[in-house]
Formats: sequence, C-alpha cells, structure tokens
Amino acid sequence: MELGNLSALFWGLLAVPIVIFYILKIRLRRAPVSTLMFWDQIYEESRPRSIWQQLRHLLSLLVQLLFLSLLVFALMDPIFSWEKLRAQRIVLVVDNSASMNATDVAPNRLAVAKQQGRRQIRGLRHRDEMAIVSAGSVPRVQCGLTGHQRTLRDALDAVPATDGPTGVAAAVTLARRLLADHDNTKIVILSDECFAEASDFAAAEDVVIVPAGGKAENVAITQFQVRRSLIDPIGYQILVEVINFSEQPIQCRLEIELGGAVVDVVPLKLAAEEHFSKTLDQTSAEGGRLVARIDHQDALAADNRAVALLPQTKRQPVLLVTDGSLFLQRVFEAIPIVDLTMTDTLPQEVSPEVLVVYHRQSPEQLPSGNVLVIDPAGPSDLWTLGGPLENPIVAKQKSDSPLMTHVRLDNVLMPGAKKLIFSIEPEVLVASIDEDPLFCTIERPQGKVLLLNVNLAKGDLPLRTAFPIMITNAIGWFQGNQGELREAISTGRVIDVDLSSLVSSRDTEDVPEVSFVLLSPDGKPRPLPGNVTQTTIGPLDQCGVWRIERRPAKRESEMESDCEPILEFACNLSNAQECDLRPAKEFEQQAPADVFGFGGRPLWFYLIVAALLLAAVEWCLYQRRWIS
Amino acid sequence: MPLFDSEFLKKLEYLSLVSRRVFRGQLLAQRRTMQMGGGIEFADHRDYTPGDDLRYLDWNVFARLGEPLLKRFQEEEDLHVYLFLDCSRSMGFGDPSKFDYARRITAALAYIGLADLDRVSVSAFAGDLLDSFPLTRGKERILTLLQFLEQLESQGTVTDLARVTTGFVHRRQRPGLAIVISDLFDPAGFQRGVDILRHRRFETHLVQICDRRELEPDLAGDVELYDVETGDTKKVTVTERKLRQYRTVFGNFQKSVESYCRKYGLGCTRTTTDVPFDELILQMMRTAGAVM
Repeated sequence: MELGNLSALFWGLLAVPIVIFYILKIRLRRAPVSTLMFWDQIYEESRPRSIWQQLRHLLSLLVQLLFLSLLVFALMDPIFSWEKLRAQRIVLVVDNSASMNATDVAPNRLAVAKQQGRRQIRGLRHRDEMAIVSAGSVPRVQCGLTGHQRTLRDALDAVPATDGPTGVAAAVTLARRLLADHDNTKIVILSDECFAEASDFAAAEDVVIVPAGGKAENVAITQFQVRRSLIDPIGYQILVEVINFSEQPIQCRLEIELGGAVVDVVPLKLAAEEHFSKTLDQTSAEGGRLVARIDHQDALAADNRAVALLPQTKRQPVLLVTDGSLFLQRVFEAIPIVDLTMTDTLPQEVSPEVLVVYHRQSPEQLPSGNVLVIDPAGPSDLWTLGGPLENPIVAKQKSDSPLMTHVRLDNVLMPGAKKLIFSIEPEVLVASIDEDPLFCTIERPQGKVLLLNVNLAKGDLPLRTAFPIMITNAIGWFQGNQGELREAISTGRVIDVDLSSLVSSRDTEDVPEVSFVLLSPDGKPRPLPGNVTQTTIGPLDQCGVWRIERRPAKRESEMESDCEPILEFACNLSNAQECDLRPAKEFEQQAPADVFGFGGRPLWFYLIVAALLLAAVEWCLYQRRWIS
Repeated sequence: MPLFDSEFLKKLEYLSLVSRRVFRGQLLAQRRTMQMGGGIEFADHRDYTPGDDLRYLDWNVFARLGEPLLKRFQEEEDLHVYLFLDCSRSMGFGDPSKFDYARRITAALAYIGLADLDRVSVSAFAGDLLDSFPLTRGKERILTLLQFLEQLESQGTVTDLARVTTGFVHRRQRPGLAIVISDLFDPAGFQRGVDILRHRRFETHLVQICDRRELEPDLAGDVELYDVETGDTKKVTVTERKLRQYRTVFGNFQKSVESYCRKYGLGCTRTTTDVPFDELILQMMRTAGAVM
C-alpha cells in the first residue's frame, strides 16, 4: 500500500486535544440535591453494569480516536498496489449515425444510448479512465482518457445527432489505437447494432456492445437525383428510389415538389423488402429545390424526405441577321429559352452574351462572341468562299458530338453548299462525299463559331425533324450546356470545392478581403479557409441544403443575413444501411451496468464513510444517551 | 434581606383578619376548633370523601336524601397548636430555600393561632429535636417567636421524624393540632413519626414543601450527585429516560403522602417554594378548614 499524502499524518496531533477534552469530561460536575432517596431507587437497577459504566467513557474516547484515525488515514490517500494494477481503460464508442435518430424507443436511440453511457460512467471505479469517441461519419474523440466523471458526462452530452452513416468500425479502430499502450482495456459500443460489423464486434473479446434500440420498420428514399435534359433545354429527369425496409407490405405516396408546387405524385405499393426505382421526366425552365416526400409514418423521419437542386435554365439572347427566313424565325421562336431579335443589317456592335446568327450574310470580320453562320454569302476572316459543291449529299457525320445528338442526316441533300477554305482548321461534323464540310465548328479565342453550309430555301432540311434538333443542340452547345447535374450528395460524404471558380474576378474587385462560410441546413455557419482556390468540405452530416456564402471578412457578422449563396449542395440520407433500422443480428441483451462492476470508489471515500458512520454511532450512543 | 420584615408582618396581620372573618359565625367562639368526633355539639355537615371515617356518616340524612354526608362537631376547649419545623439540611435546598419558606409558613400559622388566643409551640427538628419554642399564648408573643425562628439554621444530618415525635409525646403533651412543616424526606419514612402523633390523638396536618428543581431536575449528562443532607455522593449519567424515571418516583412519593393523609383523615398541603406563602395560607384555610 502506498500513501499519497504523508504530510496529512500531522492531523493526527488532533488526538492531543481530544484526550485533553476527554480528561476534562470525565471530571464530573457536582450537582447538589436535597436527597439521594429517589436517585438511589432509579440507579439501583444499574449497579450490576457498573463495570460497563466505568468503561463506557473509555470506549467513547476510543471511538473518537478511531474516528480521527480514519479521517487522517483518508487524508493520507492510501492506494493499494492491486488497485493500480486493476485500473481499467475504457473507450465509450457512441454511435451517432442517422439510424440513432430513430424514435422507436423514447425519445430516440441516441438519447437511450447516452443514458446507457451515463450508467457506464457512473460505474467507473477509482483510477479507471474512460474516453468517449463518437462514431458518426468520421470518428471523433469527444473526450480523451480521464477519470473525471463530470467531464465525461459533459462530453457524452455533447455528442451531436447526425444524419451521417455509421463509422463504428473506424471508431473501434481509433479506440484500439487509444488503448494500445494500456492494459486491462475495454471498448464499449453504444449503438443500435445497425451496422455490418456488429457481429464481428460481438465476438471480439475487447468489445462490448450495449444495445440502444430495438427492431423498427422503415420506408426510405434511398436515392433522389435530378438533372437537366440533354435534349430538351427546359426538361429535367428525376431519379428516385424508395425501399421498404420491413417485413410487411406498405402503401404510401411519393410526392415531388419543385419550389413548393407539386410536380408529381406517385402512388407506391411496396411489398416487404421491395425496391422501387424510377426515372421521371419533367419540364421546367425555372430551377429550384426539388423535394421528395413519402407520406409514411415510421421511426426515422430523415429518410422520408429528400431534396435535390434543379439548375435554372439560362435564357439565350439571339440576334438573327437575315433578309428573311420564316424557317429560322419559327425554329428560334420555338425554343423556349431563346430571346429572339431579328435584323436585316449587319450590327455594328454586339454584346458578347448575344448569339449572332448570320443567314445568307457574312461580315468580313466575325464579331467577338458566339456566332452561327448559315449559308455564308461571302468570305470572312475565317474562310474564303469557293464555288458550289457538285454533289452536296451528306455522306459522313460525327455522331458523338453534342451538336449531333439525335440528329441523322444520312443522304440528306444540302443544296447551295459552297466550297470553303478555312484559315483555321474546323471540326467537321457533317461532310459531303468529297469530304467538304457542310456543318462544322471553329474554335477561336473570341468565341465559338458554327457554320451550316446549306441553302435552306432550296433543300428540305428545314422540313426535317433533325433541323430544330440541330438548332436546339446548337443553342445548348453555345451555352456550354452539358446536361448539368448537381448531384445530391449522400450524408457523410466529403466533397472538393473550387472556390476560385465560384467568384469572378470582377466580383472580388469591389471587396478585396473575402471569406467563405459554409452554412449547414439548420443555419449553423462554419468558416472556410480564405485565400485558397480549392477546399474540402465535409463530412456533410445533416440532411438538407448546404450553402456556401461569400462574405466580406470585415463585415462577417453584419452580412450574415444579406449574402446570397454562391453554391448550394443538396444532401440526403441515401444510405440503405442507415435506413434499415433492424439490427444486423439478434444479440443477447446485456446488463450494461455490470460491465465494470459496481460502485468503484477510492479507499479514502470508504474511510470517510466509515468515519461518518462511526460519528453517527457515537452520536446515537453518547449524545442521545442510549448508553447511560 | 431579613426573613421577617415589616412587609411580612403586614401580611401576617392581613391573614389574621381574614381568618377571623372566615371562621367567625361558624365556630361561634374563638377557642373552638372543628374536629371530627372531637366534641359532642353538632356543627354542620360536609360531603363524604373516600377515606372518611364511616362512624361519622349521618345515616338518617343518607336514608332520607340518599346523599352521604358527614357530621361535624365542635370541641369546646382551648386549642393547642404544635408546629413541627423541619431544620434538616435538605430544607436548605433551593432558591429561595425551602427552610426560609417553611419558617415563613410557621410564622404565619403561629401568628394566626396566637391572634385567636390559641396556645402555640414550635419544635425545630432534624435527626432529633434541635430547639423548641414552648407553648405560649397571646399575640404579643409573636415577636419573640419570630426571633426564635430567625435564629434557626438548617442543620443536622438525617431527618428522623419518628424520633422527634416519640420524644414529643413522651413529654405528655396535651393533644391538639400538630402541624408538620417539612419536605418529608425521611429515609425511614415520615409515616412512623406521624403515626405516633395520630395514635396520641393529635389532629395532624402535613405541610410538604418542595423546590421546583426537585420536581423537575435540570440535570443532564454525567454528574456527581451530592446529597446536601448526608454528604453522600453518587456518580450517574442523567438521561432523558432517567429523568422520566425520577419524575415517576418522585410523583409516587407525593401520591403516597396524599393517600396516607386521606386514609387517616389528616390534613395535607403540598406546595413549592415559588408559591407565595400568604396564598398558601389562604388556600389552606379555604380548602381544609382544619387549621383553625
């Protein structure tokens, strides 16, 4: 046995005044009475116990000295050697994944797990140490090894609820690393056991699983994505997947809203374990938040709702320079995103955003920006004009170009086509038998140029279905539309964001010092590193729409509510394992409080308790005069 | 502060006047006393109380009315009043001491007797007769009597009333009213001494004086009890339980005094020193009616 505080031995000197007071006490006070007649009658019965009467004062002194000895011994903080050896190191792995938000147990599985955790903390013995690791998307050490129970309780209470996938396996690995240098270790997992490695950990000797939840049925949206159509400039496609994680068939409805307006309702009748997956085509020039909901009451609410971001279609201003072509006019007017302006004279100055369409006209110097030339009438800075082609039949076309998507021009006659000699090598999309370009693109620093070498009035191309598709593809190509997909991210994922591409140089000129802030769906800001071009965000452990805002560094607090988001991410619980609320395996219920034994306290605590008990006994026997 | 000051004398005079007003017209003469069976002339009736001698029950009245009434007679002779004052050390206990209180009571009773032309004597006793004031008559003798009382001290060892009364009756005293003023803490028992008086046909009255601290001792814890009369000591631990036992034992003692007096038709007055002596005298005259 070792003594932690040997100097406390000096408190033993208190025995001296105790003995002095004892001597003073046994010198009895003399009380005169008129007669002893009556007192003799009373104390006559006590005479056989006179030996005890004499010893009782001595016993009182011994009790007091023993009380002092216990206190002094407690102050000296005695430690047994076996106590040091048997000290346990425990890591509490708290599963705070999405499935722990299930409400099949009140109030939810995470709260129950925390209750179990508090019981584990209460069961800590003296010199035991515990660490707390959260097992969300990324395992985090919430509290290092310590024996201070209040710190552990605070750390346990601070474990947040997340919508992320479980990371119990990684957390156990982390816990084992924490305990690597210690003996007598144990890992306690507080989880609903809805993870694949549960059976492995149940068999492990150093791991104890304390279940926090039961078996619950659930219906979940496990996939929800949207993208703009590659063909239809205002069309979009929705991919949705719903899984019935139960052993009973269910009926429910899948409602999809765009900006608050219902765009589709799909009745669902799912058998047990059935997967429903479907692609839905919708049209809308407007973008916004696309929200999917299933009206089914189950234990987990986070997977009954999913959100995706539909990009807004950009409007394309088009300046048609022609002396008259009804075909072209009608084609451009039929495209919903086109703002058409017509003129018959060559413009002097054109905005770079405007697509200029030259029909049967050709300026000597093509303007900057995007240009579509149909049936060029003369030479320009990019080509010189030759004679008419002898056999302008389409013989070859490049089908892998986005400009030729869904376009088939085999053997189509292109009358009026002319021989062209280019100063820059074009990319030929459609060529004649003699491999003369009939439809080609020219890349130049000032902008894109698309050239259609055909006389629309003479041929039947405008009458073909391929013609409006070609023009629509051309509009998309000029806009750079590649079927934009803003992927709805699964919770727990980490993404890379190019911050430099989000802010144009013109924007930053006004505000030289800028900072980026990541806002979670519940509005909690997380500052992103400034002055970097690329950063990593995540893990995104909350369902909803995450935003990145740009804020002036000096006015961060002031601009909090004024800033427009420069980037948004939709984040959904698209994790079938998390949505399945049934444990991977049926485990035997364990008694959580028995994990560490009962009531571990330091020796000084028991000494103090013994001293207090002794004081209580002394008070009852002597102060209450039970001993007389 | 003198024991018998002018204020005390005023109170004695007041008590004397009150006693005359109370008893005149009832006793018809100053030298008469009411004594059960002591005379032949019928005086009045009083209610029967348990312990009364059934020989004096008026059977005619009982037969006619159904109420047990006792006949009272007047004895037509000079009344001899013998006052026995306990001077043992136990009487010196208390604040004010029981001894001072007893001397005032003795003085008051003697004054009333002398004022009524009775013959009064005072015997101071403890283990034996310590001093005595012989039979005297006349109100003018009161000052001498007070001087006698004032020079007395609580002394002596163990109270022995039997020895005192034995010596008293051996002196062939004429029967009369014997008033014993004491705490009655006689280890041999006060009954023996009183029995001797009773057997010699003395009309006996006991005045038991106690101190409040004898009724309710303010003792607790480990104490050494010191008997002021014998000098004996006793080391005890006084607990609540023991105090309860003490109160029971002391209460039993007082009940024994009361039952003894009732049994033999003796007058009995019990008091504590915190009761003013004049109130006690009035109370004795009103309730017992046996004093004068």
